[in-house]
Parts: sequence; C-alpha cells; structure tokens
Amino acid sequence: LRRSGKAALFVSNNSRRSVAELERRFSRLGFRGVRAEHVFSSALCSALFLRQRLLGAGGGGGNGNGGGRVFVLGGEGLRGEVRDAGLRLAGEGEPTAGAAEPVRAVLVGYDDQFTFAKLAQACGYLRDPQCLLVATDPDPWHPLSDGQRTPGTGSLTAAVETASGRKALVVGKPNTYMFDCIVERFGVDPSRTLMVGDRLETDILFGKNCGLSTILTLTGVSRLEEAQAYMASDSAAAKDLVPNYYVDSIADLIPGLDE
Amino acid sequence: AALPGPAPADWAQAPLDPAVRAVLVGFDEHFSYAKLCQALRYLLRGGPECLLVGTNRDHRLPLEGGTAIPGTGCLVKAVETAAQREAFIIGKPSRYMFDCVASEFNIDPSRTIMVGDRLDTDILMGNSCGLTTLLTLTGVTTLDEVKGHQESDCPARQSLVPDYYVDSIADLLPALGD
Repeated sequence: LRRSGKAALFVSNNSRRSVAELERRFSRLGFRGVRAEHVFSSALCSALFLRQRLLGAGGGGGNGNGGGRVFVLGGEGLRGEVRDAGLRLAGEGEPTAGAAEPVRAVLVGYDDQFTFAKLAQACGYLRDPQCLLVATDPDPWHPLSDGQRTPGTGSLTAAVETASGRKALVVGKPNTYMFDCIVERFGVDPSRTLMVGDRLETDILFGKNCGLSTILTLTGVSRLEEAQAYMASDSAAAKDLVPNYYVDSIADLIPGLDE
Repeated sequence: AALPGPAPADWAQAPLDPAVRAVLVGFDEHFSYAKLCQALRYLLRGGPECLLVGTNRDHRLPLEGGTAIPGTGCLVKAVETAAQREAFIIGKPSRYMFDCVASEFNIDPSRTIMVGDRLDTDILMGNSCGLTTLLTLTGVTTLDEVKGHQESDCPARQSLVPDYYVDSIADLLPALGD
C-alpha cells in the first residue's frame, strides 16, 4: 500500500493495549513501517475524549484543578493511555491534604480483573450526575485463537449501566469519534478512504457512519451469511451493516494493488 | 475448580465440567470477569441445550441508610450481553414464582391480593397474573410516581398501577380484626 502512495491507518476497538504495544505487535507480525501514530485504539481515543471533556480544548482546565480524576475499569495499557493524556486516575498518585479531587469520569474498558466490588465502586462515583460514564467500545465478546470467545467491554458496560441507571458514551466503532481523531491527525478524505474490517456491527457500520467505502474480510468474526441476512432484511438500519465489498482475506487484495 | 494462570487465555483452557447443563446467575458479590468467562464457555459449548437462568433483574439492592449496591440484574445483563442471548428470569415481575405458588397452594387469582412496595416487581407481577394489587408506601415507591404512570398513555406504565394503596400494611389490621 505504501509503495502505491496510499496511507494505511489502523483503527481498533481493542482497549487492552497502548498504541506503543500495538506498534511492537505489528512489527513482530512483519508489518514494517507501522508507527504508533498510525494506530488508533479505543484506549487512546477514550483518553483523548476524556482529556477534551475534563481538561477542555486547550489542554488545561479553566478551573485550575486539573479536571478531576478518572476511575478506570481496565488494564495497564488503558490506564497508561489515560495518564499519557494528562489525566489523573482514581486510586493513584500522591495523597492530598484535605479532600481528594472528585472523580469526574468512570471509564469502562476491557477489564479481566473486573469484580462486583469495582462495579459497586463505579456506581458510587456515578451517583454524581456530573460524573461521566464512558466506555471504550461496545464489543460483546472477542474471538480467541482456538475459536472460543472471551467477554468484551460491552458486557461489563451493560452491568455498569444497569446498576447506575445511566447510558455510557461509547468511544469505539461503530461510533464516529475515532474517525474524528484520525481526521484531526491525518486529514483523510472519506471519499478516497476504504475501511477494511472483519466485524459487521463495528467495522462496517463505522465505515458507513463515517462516509467510507467498506470491505468485509471473512477471516474473523462475521460470516458471509450474516452479511447476506442484513442485506435481505427490511430494516433500514440493517442496510448500514452491509459492506460494499467482501474478500476471503485481505491477502486477496495484494494482486490488485501491484497493478 | 481453580483456574490455571492469571489471564483469560489460560482460563479458556481450563477443563469444563461435562455435566453442566445450566448457568444460573444470582446475587454474587464475588462476581468476576473470570466467572463471566466460564459462564460464556458453558453457554457456547451447550448452545440452546445449556439453560441460562437468572434469579431476578433487580438493578439495585437498597441498603439501610439510603445507599444501594448493584443488583443481580447487572450480572444477568453482563452474561446476556457476552452470550448474546436472553436469560429465563425466575423472580418478579416474571410470573414463574406465582405459577409455583399457585400450583402448590391451589390459589384462585380472582380471590388473591398481592401486597408489595415496588411497582416494577411486586405490582407488575400481580397485575400480569390477574391478581388484585395493593401498594404499601413504606418502601421506595412514592404516590407521585404512581400518579405519573396512571396519567400516562403508555400501556406498559399502566400495568405498574396498583388497584389500591396503603401507607403501611398495619393500616389493614383494623379491617382484618372484624
């Protein structure tokens, strides 16, 4: 792609890893030239979203107290992105004399250490209507290499929403915030951009929501029958999940690119 | 059985009990991602042959002093979302418990009154099962809430409206003593 002068950017709902870790993984998989700034993960974009909302567009809170803390349900990769965005995490940092800074946001990500106690703690913070509830992505489960599934952020978010009576703001695909982050950094033209993904409900719908053409690859989550079912459906919403094209694997595109 | 290793990839390798044919979600203050993982594995292995049952859908459990902790409904929703299927719910407002009681005690719905303090569980179940319903105001429900439902056009909200209300069930004692 790079040889043909086309930019390749990666947008992932994965909220486990920092973009630095993802850059290393790409490198290990043999993708030369993929830098951290080409990778947009829901962890990174959630941190950027929270920075915007809690610290303001200028990067510094008008109220001078740093914008408050964030209670993160997630692993070290996600926590690191939030810290790198200049935010403070609940439960970390120097104890202050007097009242601790209020928790201004609860961020739900992929958390394999999720417990009832953390759920209760999140609800405590969410009793304050000023406290935001944000989720990195809506994915209900993720495939494992042996064909099994592991629960996704979507299932944990459902628990927090039910307990708190609040709806989460979801950063990841199919919502378009991650595309806003991409445009801000790289200025892509939607009419000349192709979205490639393996999950109809996130990748393909994201492409549609952002005005991109879409290709479904059949190497992952979604099956051709599912795309066909959406195509045959009467509902207008279902049409948005139908990709413009599909391939068995993105390797199938390589001959076309060499022309 | 203890799960091998600290990560989900390890947990997905733990042997599953071949005899398991149902996942039952109840109130669990030790709920964890690891348990959610195992529940999902049993449900995927069994497909429709493995039951998914929830004891109830309560969002919150009120504690003395006015605070509340997350209810069983949250845990049921987590499992339902991961498994992309709906649980069979035993507790109110589902009619299952009424059916159990009615069959065991030969109850005639037309001669039965349901007394409760919550509209979305007690009163809704009573109304759905054809019982007369009585709301007591000693719990979380206010009369304003009831009036709101009564005045709404929505049929679902209308089914939350009790036939009668009292400030407390103690108010019934004089009548019962006759």
